[in-house]
Amino acid sequence: MISLERYPREIRLRDGAQLTFRPMIREDADRLWDFFCRIPAEDKMVFREDVSRKEVVERWAENLDYASVLPILALEGDQVVADATLHRNRTGWKQRVGTIRIQIAPDFRERGLGTAMIREMRHLGEKAALRYLRAEAIEEQEAAIGAFEKMGFDRMGVYPNFVNDQKGRLHNLVVLLYPMPYSEVEMNF
Amino acid sequence: MTCPACGAELVYDSHEAIKGPDGKEMCPYRDRGYSALRSGHDKVYFGKWRKMDSTTTDFRRAYRQIERHLKAIGSVLETKDLPAAKRDLGKAIESYYAVDPEGESPDALRFMDHALSYAHMAIDDLLHEEGLPPHDPMEFSKWYDAVEVPFKEEW
Repeated sequence: MISLERYPREIRLRDGAQLTFRPMIREDADRLWDFFCRIPAEDKMVFREDVSRKEVVERWAENLDYASVLPILALEGDQVVADATLHRNRTGWKQRVGTIRIQIAPDFRERGLGTAMIREMRHLGEKAALRYLRAEAIEEQEAAIGAFEKMGFDRMGVYPNFVNDQKGRLHNLVVLLYPMPYSEVEMNF
Repeated sequence: MTCPACGAELVYDSHEAIKGPDGKEMCPYRDRGYSALRSGHDKVYFGKWRKMDSTTTDFRRAYRQIERHLKAIGSVLETKDLPAAKRDLGKAIESYYAVDPEGESPDALRFMDHALSYAHMAIDDLLHEEGLPPHDPMEFSKWYDAVEVPFKEEW
């Protein structure tokens, strides 16, 4: 179990915006629903689930299980402005691989929040003793891919025409991996 | 002026210095979180070694400055449980070791840049843990007489 003692955390963006990072709780269903209502339709096209249906978000809130999916919300006041999730398998051959997903509200993009959330997910991955963090993005999400690469993720491959959006159009999927650091030796002169 | 607190070599000739309540000139890095690491970074970042008219001496000086800078980050990280920051520092050190100290190798500048860039990431990791935004050298550029370039957040 990852210790969540560090939450809630106050995070300041470069432009002065003051946000709170904390795990999602059951009572956040409406806040998260409001957040997804503000996400442009073209972004929602590539979600794994149809978040234009409120019952999907309510089901997430009802079935929170931090050991499998740990959602960290970024809030400005009472409003959710970003959602990052760390997905883990408790058993099996991928139990040391965490998958992260990040969604940012349009008015908070290009303000450094995505990078801050990647840093937060890296921290949680370390605390969960994972060996790798994995992220996926469709090739058109250049800003997100660039941010992951800047934070040490390696582009491991591109699967051509691998995923379809909700209108059936095909997209290339980029898979990125971040090897979790454990060696103390490498930082010594 | 060399700031006695953080060691930043600041230029005051092209603008008005920041002054404290007592009217004395004040270091712009003061109270910014990890001020010595920020100024240590910027000293190299805005150093003459990156300019077209730089000399071998400028390069050697920057090489030593980076070494001291990486050691300073390492000292701070020793007491922190931040594996990602240590990894970034490890990558900075790896790049530093790849630098030809005389600056004659065609890759010398590139490896110096990489070392400085990874060091910057380690500082940003530390700042994130304090809930602070990443360090933006351009915010301090005027103190180094450097040309300002608008910074754009990537994501």
